[in-house]
Amino acid sequence: MKIRPVLALAAVAVVAFAAAAALTRVLAHPAADDQAGAVPAARTSFAGLAHATGEPTLPGLERLHPAPGTVARAPGPFDDRFTFQGLSFDGARVRGSATITSDVSDVLEFQAVAGFYDRKGRLLGTARYVHHADDTNGDAHSDAGPPSEAERFAIAVPKPWRGVAVSAAVGVPILVNE
Amino acid sequence: MQGRTRVTAAAVVAMAAVAGTTVTSAQASDRHGGDDRRINNVIYVLGDGMGRTHVTAARERYYGADGELNMERLPVVGQVSTYSVERRSGQPGAADFEPNLVTDSASAATAWSSGVKTYNAALGVDAKGNVVPTLMELAKRAGYRTGNVSTAEITDATPAGQMSHVLARGFQGPVYSAASCQDTAVTGAPLPTSDVRVTPVADQIARNGTADVILGGGLSRFEASDEQALRGQGYTVLGSPASQTVATRADLQRASGRKVFGLFNKGNLTIEKFKRQNPTSAQAQEPSLPQMTRKAINLLDGSRGNRKGFYLQVEGALIDKRSHANDASQTLEETKAFDDAVAAAVAFAKRDRHTLVIVTADHECAGFNIIEKGTFTNAEAAAPPVNVYSGNTANNSTPTRRDGNVKDTARSTGIVNGAGSGDPANFAPATFRTPDDPASVQDGSPEASLWLTYLSGNHTGADVPLFAYGPNAGRLAGSIDNTDLFDVVGQALRVAR
Repeated sequence: MKIRPVLALAAVAVVAFAAAAALTRVLAHPAADDQAGAVPAARTSFAGLAHATGEPTLPGLERLHPAPGTVARAPGPFDDRFTFQGLSFDGARVRGSATITSDVSDVLEFQAVAGFYDRKGRLLGTARYVHHADDTNGDAHSDAGPPSEAERFAIAVPKPWRGVAVSAAVGVPILVNE
Repeated sequence: MQGRTRVTAAAVVAMAAVAGTTVTSAQASDRHGGDDRRINNVIYVLGDGMGRTHVTAARERYYGADGELNMERLPVVGQVSTYSVERRSGQPGAADFEPNLVTDSASAATAWSSGVKTYNAALGVDAKGNVVPTLMELAKRAGYRTGNVSTAEITDATPAGQMSHVLARGFQGPVYSAASCQDTAVTGAPLPTSDVRVTPVADQIARNGTADVILGGGLSRFEASDEQALRGQGYTVLGSPASQTVATRADLQRASGRKVFGLFNKGNLTIEKFKRQNPTSAQAQEPSLPQMTRKAINLLDGSRGNRKGFYLQVEGALIDKRSHANDASQTLEETKAFDDAVAAAVAFAKRDRHTLVIVTADHECAGFNIIEKGTFTNAEAAAPPVNVYSGNTANNSTPTRRDGNVKDTARSTGIVNGAGSGDPANFAPATFRTPDDPASVQDGSPEASLWLTYLSGNHTGADVPLFAYGPNAGRLAGSIDNTDLFDVVGQALRVAR
């Protein structure tokens, strides 16, 4: 019976120790206060954003009327990042190259869109050259090897307009250089 | 006696309580490096492509062998593994885990932003294409103020890793292209264009409100509709995406408000060396990384009603881009600018006392190395890099040596020193004077003490350095993985387990 007060005191002390420890831990490391939020952190839809319906083009192609045998340049959003060289049109395809002149470590994405025109300068249709740096698809322009600043391209006249197209215009709607 | 017993009992209980508090506090302090103050703010400062040699070379170049960069003065030092995984890979430990030992900036950004390994090119999605929330999104939802600053296009991998979810990093905008964004190797079939994973990064950034303060380059990625969306959310837009008018340093200095969007170049921001050499150019009107960092902190911390704190990411992107080009001169200068941004972040943290500053990199770039004088060995049997790069108009400072990056058997036979390496006319590696050199020593001369070489033009798989300051910084000491950064920051901000 004499031992009881001592045991009780010890028990209270243990409880006090544990309570203080727990309280201190809570104060030092507040629980994550937003882990279970009902609203997803990542926004995955955007009201009012028009979704793409096809591959990109350049509005300037509609306004150009290149003379027979010539290749015009259609303005695009990245015209300050590259220069065209050697643009030519032989009736079957438009050829040329683009050299990236802005800071470049490698060309990740490049797309040249060509418009083809009849003798009256009317736009018949478009075709494109696409470079996508992707090491899984055997892309010749993959990240392997030294960084490249030049893109050579050749864009053939689509079948319906072969023999009708006499001129072309080229522009760049997509360019990503790391 | 009863009174004495009560006093004794009370004393024992009190001592037990104190002991409990002390033991718990000591455990916490030990576990987290001895500084367990509550963290209100995290500033994550990232040198893209900055390996250990980049830090050492910049220190020697600007402060001498006995000097220190600002980042090197931070009390906690660690190293970070950076590997990524292949498409469709599981996470480490899973049966279908398939590592890729050399990461790109996108998978690295996803690792620290979302805490998962993913494939090179992926942003905000795991290797199986699932959307994973980012720290900045979690912080924003939890009520923190958020900021994202970069010298790259703001749609580039590192900043975009916090603010977007796409299958391919090249899908930056402004327009959709299936080739740029779809990845059927991951998703099995093309996704509808309404899916966020095939929504241009620029469209996402302009509409998701993830970052309150957005400063960097890449105006060409944004259009009039983006500006309208930004203004609709209350952003102060510096310059104009609609008219493609870039913002300027003066615009930034005047900026105020809770949400600020400022892009200072249509593409990446301009290298410091060009701005220094062309002070009247339009590019010289761009703010530097330290200036953007200070302003971002000011906007985030000074906002009325910011009781919770902020999370800010700052990227020095051009270290990587100039390393890809084996351009040692501009790489060093960009590393110095980055280090000055570190100083700005740490100065705030020292005043605030509740800010964790983490300085690290996403990967090493180009196998940068410091070699002993006269010991040049060209591993690729090509000529060494020139001291500065003049291959394109964005970097048109004058080369110290005229030729470079073409095979030159007089200078290198590949795996041993070239026969002509002792001849200054055939001088090989990029060399720089340091503060320890005599005043007569010039950059590019064989007498300069800092000899630098590269092994490649792309990323390497080397671990990257980490420096940290502030509460709980000790958790970052030693060797960690880049996905651990998500856990540390997430726990610091109490937004992730």
